[in-house]
Amino acid sequence: MAFVVQFSFAQEKTITGTVSDESGLPLPGVNVVVKGTTTGTQTDFDGNYSVSAKTGSTLVFSFVGYKSQEMIVGNSNKISFAMTPDTEALEEVVVLAYRTATKETSSVASTTISSSTIEARPNANFVQTLQGQVAGMNIITTSGQPGGNSTVNLRGVGSISGNTEPLFIIDGVPVDEDNFRSLNPNDIESLSVLKDAGATSIYGNRGANGVVLIKTKRASYERDLQIKYTGTTSISTLQRHYYDLMNSREELQLEKDYGSGYGSTLSQAELELRAQQANTDWLDVFFGKAYTQSHTLSLSAGGENINAFTSLGFHNQDGILNKASSLKRFNFRNNISGKSKNDKFNYNTSLTINYSTSDEPLSIGTGGVNRNIALGATSGEPYISPYDYTGDGANIPANFANTPLFLLDLLENQVYREDELKILASIDASYKITNDLTFKSTLGIDFTDVQSLYSEAPDSFNASYFAEDGNTTPGRVDQDVSRSALINFSNSLTYAKSFGKHSVEVSLFTEYFKAHWRSFGFVQEGLDYHTFYPGDGAGFVDDNSANDWFVDTASATVRNAGLFSYFAFADYDYNTKYGISGTIRRDASYRFSSSNRWGTFWSVSGRWNIDKEAFMEGSVFDMLKLRASYGTAGNQDIVSTSGQFAPFNAPDLTRDLFATGGQYGGVNGLSVGQIGNNDLKWETIAQANIGLDFEVFNRKLRGSVDFYKKNTTDLFLPTPISPALNGGVSSISANVGELENRGVDLELHYDLFRSLQDGGFNLTLNFVGNYNKQEIKDLGPGGDVAYTYRVGGPLSEIYAAPFVGVNPANGNLLFIDIDGNLTEDIDEIDQRATGKNLYPDYQGSFGFNATYKNFFLDTQFNYTLGVYRYDFDYSGYVDPTQIGQFRHSRDILDAWQQPGDITNIPSLTATNLSDDSFSDRFLRNSDYLRLRFVQLGYNLPKRYADDIGFSFVRAFFSGENLITWSKWRGFDAEGTGSVQYGYPTPRIYSVGIEFGF
Amino acid sequence: MMKNILIKFILGFSLMAFLGCNDAIDIEQPGRLGAENAFLSIDDLNGGLLAAYNNLDTTYEIGLTAVLTDESYRGIQNGGQNLEFLNFNLNSSSSYVGSIWASNYGAIDMVNRILAAAENIDREDDPEYYDNILGQAYAIRAYSFFKILTFFSTDYTDDNALAGILRTTPTTPDEIFSSVPRNTNAEFYTQIDLDLNAAENLINQDLGNKFVNLDFIKALRARMAAYRGQYALADGYAAELLADYPIADQNQYMSMFADADDTEIIFALERTINDSYDGQGSAGGGWAGSLFAFSNPNATGGPFMEVSRSVFNILDGTNDIRLNRNVNLAESSIDPDYETNNNFLNDDVLLVFKYPGSESKFLMNDLKVFRSSEMLLIRAEAAADANQLGQVATFIKQLRDARYGSSQALPSYANQQEAFGAILDERRLEFLFEGQRWVDLKRLGNKGNRSIDRDPRECSFFSCSIDNDDFRFTLPIPISEVIANSEVEQNPGY
Repeated sequence: MAFVVQFSFAQEKTITGTVSDESGLPLPGVNVVVKGTTTGTQTDFDGNYSVSAKTGSTLVFSFVGYKSQEMIVGNSNKISFAMTPDTEALEEVVVLAYRTATKETSSVASTTISSSTIEARPNANFVQTLQGQVAGMNIITTSGQPGGNSTVNLRGVGSISGNTEPLFIIDGVPVDEDNFRSLNPNDIESLSVLKDAGATSIYGNRGANGVVLIKTKRASYERDLQIKYTGTTSISTLQRHYYDLMNSREELQLEKDYGSGYGSTLSQAELELRAQQANTDWLDVFFGKAYTQSHTLSLSAGGENINAFTSLGFHNQDGILNKASSLKRFNFRNNISGKSKNDKFNYNTSLTINYSTSDEPLSIGTGGVNRNIALGATSGEPYISPYDYTGDGANIPANFANTPLFLLDLLENQVYREDELKILASIDASYKITNDLTFKSTLGIDFTDVQSLYSEAPDSFNASYFAEDGNTTPGRVDQDVSRSALINFSNSLTYAKSFGKHSVEVSLFTEYFKAHWRSFGFVQEGLDYHTFYPGDGAGFVDDNSANDWFVDTASATVRNAGLFSYFAFADYDYNTKYGISGTIRRDASYRFSSSNRWGTFWSVSGRWNIDKEAFMEGSVFDMLKLRASYGTAGNQDIVSTSGQFAPFNAPDLTRDLFATGGQYGGVNGLSVGQIGNNDLKWETIAQANIGLDFEVFNRKLRGSVDFYKKNTTDLFLPTPISPALNGGVSSISANVGELENRGVDLELHYDLFRSLQDGGFNLTLNFVGNYNKQEIKDLGPGGDVAYTYRVGGPLSEIYAAPFVGVNPANGNLLFIDIDGNLTEDIDEIDQRATGKNLYPDYQGSFGFNATYKNFFLDTQFNYTLGVYRYDFDYSGYVDPTQIGQFRHSRDILDAWQQPGDITNIPSLTATNLSDDSFSDRFLRNSDYLRLRFVQLGYNLPKRYADDIGFSFVRAFFSGENLITWSKWRGFDAEGTGSVQYGYPTPRIYSVGIEFGF
Repeated sequence: MMKNILIKFILGFSLMAFLGCNDAIDIEQPGRLGAENAFLSIDDLNGGLLAAYNNLDTTYEIGLTAVLTDESYRGIQNGGQNLEFLNFNLNSSSSYVGSIWASNYGAIDMVNRILAAAENIDREDDPEYYDNILGQAYAIRAYSFFKILTFFSTDYTDDNALAGILRTTPTTPDEIFSSVPRNTNAEFYTQIDLDLNAAENLINQDLGNKFVNLDFIKALRARMAAYRGQYALADGYAAELLADYPIADQNQYMSMFADADDTEIIFALERTINDSYDGQGSAGGGWAGSLFAFSNPNATGGPFMEVSRSVFNILDGTNDIRLNRNVNLAESSIDPDYETNNNFLNDDVLLVFKYPGSESKFLMNDLKVFRSSEMLLIRAEAAADANQLGQVATFIKQLRDARYGSSQALPSYANQQEAFGAILDERRLEFLFEGQRWVDLKRLGNKGNRSIDRDPRECSFFSCSIDNDDFRFTLPIPISEVIANSEVEQNPGY
């Protein structure tokens, strides 16, 4: 036995390997350094490297955008692995107006969402996916129509009559903010929401409500072809209600006891028999399970000087309103980037061509019993059976109880379809004149062509019911074509230079915007069922000399709009510690060209990177940045209109106009068209913002908090004018009012568990919240508008007299009148301001993201507090005057019956039932907490993926709107305003798969 | 070199950008007619006149009167329409009130514009056409002023009572936001007389009974004199018109309301397919018949307002053609036990048949404004006022003979009150659903000892009556006016 001291000189050996990115593709340019030495190298084009190192030493791999990885040199001479993206690092890039900055040097309030949040969600319209993701951004979807428009408000509602939605810009081109049903959400790379004046003032006359900047995906230079497929399949269902609706037997019994309707004509035995024969829940007949499938295929590749990203998408979604609602869409996108060899000249093009066709139900939310399918679903009498509809629409007896039969006939015989072609094309090119001076030009176009078809078949109930006496070929067709082109052209010159610790950037811009709208259409009266087919004219009946039943109407519109601006920004930074920026913009909008031609908007913002100060060394803060901004932005869309027509409405309110058209007896004449306002101007929002961005505890806790105050002045409000002086016209809008919104935005992300190893357990908690308070400061000479708004109140305030119960002596409703007395008789003057309104006080979301091994789980809970709405659906369910016509809730069985009864439901023969329209009897709090989104998925481990020839494979299950906790008894607690007989948003379950190679 | 070219390129671009700017800012939309170019010829004046006519609409007063007094009751297909009026809930936000105010001021404003524009148009191009247009315009304005007074003044016989706002020139841009006080009845009557005199002197053609002519002016004068209590004057005008417009017999009466007979019609507002009133208007502004039913006057037509039992019971079982004309007997279901039947709403269905339709369009009918029957009853009123009770009876019998189709007994009245009462009763049946009942009770109710008379069974679910002196026999100034006009005085009680 000997002591053998083994001296093994740690031998230097050559370590080789391949480094790849998260999709398994080789990652060139990765720095490989032997820790503690200056020895190092980089991976080559194939991701291979070769470096000399001793056993036991550590190799450090680093690359921008990826987490640095340390590997210990062991016995093996080969070290190969995939690097994981550093998601925090990706957020380092902040997309701003007309430029980008890093998170460190940004002095504005903005939030960026990456594609991973938007991809593979089952919403046809990506705006719905954004709900709850951005502090202060309140997104409400009130319709379950696939791809249906949502209302977006940023930091409160900034206008009373004007547009309140932010400006949406895709790849530098402003687009119509109400129509995203034709665009493929899977093409979005990132979405940034610009919130304060420092960021939005530079958008001048269009930036008052905030700006949403969207960039679509691009390929990278020097990359091999990558192909990626994403597919999802979903089932949507109606969310449940809590109205406790009666069944057929109960409804018939109610009718019999009350003495009205079909039930009152039956004997008890006949009633029982009928109840057994027919017990229909019309919700199950008109609403049902709906399927969606969605596929996107993308290809990207890049060479030395050019790269291209191409994607193809197909989306087919049925709405839960059976047979009446669907969206089918085809998308194509091609984004090319290129540069000159010396990197001086860069260009990007993007082209997307999309075609969609949607079937839509009409008259949703109205009381049209022969038009609104949702009404038939919610209120159809349960003792009517779908078999009562035999296809003979013309002969359905016209009474309210047959409402569901009218609507079954409507489903068979009415068509409403919109076919849309939407093309977004843009090109931007920049040239570096010198190292510091760059010239850039951007040209973009948003082209939309919508063709709509409405047809009502000649043998339908509606056509026959409204037909003239003796008309055997009723029915009508309404077809329209509407085409709009929005063109944006901007040029800029930018100077950027650093002198030692100082950096300066100055830019000058001009922007030209022009929009054109052309539409035409016709209404055809009279169809012959022999040859009729919706969309084809063979069955059209011509006008004859005996009557005017078949006279057709034609219509056409030509409108143009425009905007011209010049603006500049300047930015100064000292040592990346202190920064100050300013913007100034002059806009001329065609709307105000003869009254107030030019508007000027400016902003100032500053920041202080506190964490860079000497006294902060060693603190727990990885980043602490204080920023503040103040500035003005304008809203030129003073009259709110949705859709592709928004740039064109209110084009010349400054003029006194007459109109030609049919007058007395239908003969052509001249009438007053419009009284002009020659003082017209845009609304202005001045906003002050102070915020703090922070990252603490080794970046485990990250977040930002902002305090803001927004004042809208020159609010465009209907100002009452004397109808006696103005030919019966009772209001004209003028810029007179002022509105204030102030509040707090908070975003927090906390990595509760952060694993250093691959496959360890990671858990991040997220919270996004906003508190917003609205106050009307001034309403102009019109002053408070009775029962609508008042100075000192919020927008959309509820005015009502309190309903306090039912009088036990006689079953009548009891209220408190305006003098505070208990009374049974109230009138409109007893309505008082309640301080409650339709908009939330607090809204946001919280949730978590977890990963473990190859599984991932994401959840998001959305909450809303402070929303009040009238539950008009419920008011119908307890309305005794509707007994015999529509369905009821079991609550009505608690109605007062004899003196001494204590109940909240008045007597069925109460004498003051119509007074409840002035009261808060049906006002409800519609706050909710909803499990908005949950997703559980699995990433196939790399070695298995490689075996089957894919670079990655991911599968996931997800659900949207799964559970809602709320006091609201209706179908959808989400919503603004009091929707009755509406089309609720659905609950969606999906399964999806993604893979690439 | 490259740099130079590029700099030129860039400067060129910028220049282009600046130059192009005006076409984005100064945009004139196609299809616009500025006010300055609207009236350039006499034909343009006629175009404006057609617009003035187009503002006239009596459906609002027909609808309001039917539900506020005792003409109509909620029907089998009522989904909530008009229930507040059955409860006498009338306030400044009621839609009928605002519509009556706005439609009449729409006509007044259009006339003011035409008259002002006419000063700049050469009359010599066609003097007769020019004069006739202005004559019609003056008469329309007088008619509209009188309508405003009728509905918003507390007392037609009191010259100091407030009427509406008198406006005879177009409003200038700086007056748009003004507040002006109401004028008195005296000021209104003076202006109305001025306008009617001007009209009489200018009208030189008779374009038929759908347009203003000299007979229209006479009829308006007769009605106004009767409302004011100037019965000698009223009687004179009424007698002249009766000479030219006889009372319709039973067949003519039935046809008159189906727009197939003109015997009695002095003036009616034309309603035809594809005009601006061709559509449903359950609160006015559409087909007259759509004030009562959704799509047709039959049992399947969605009747939401029906004939009230109080009127039906008077006509039931008689040969009075007004029974057949007002009630759709063929399609109605009459329940003799309606008073005790709990389900009478469904079993007792009395369909309104006054406006059955025309031109094969259900529910669309011309609006009859002045008829000879009204002239006859004005003569009866004049006789009652002069205490010639026998003469009153003669006139009433003359009307009844025509309505029953056979000679009727001559009534006899013990005193003036009974005579006025009988006139009111006859007017109630004659002008059912024509918007007269409310005015009649207001001005004559106390004289004739009659007030709102609802059927006890029907009104047991709502309110049954209000006094003739109740403030609700004057309409409130609509909220649209009150909010904008700080100088306007609201009527008492509102």
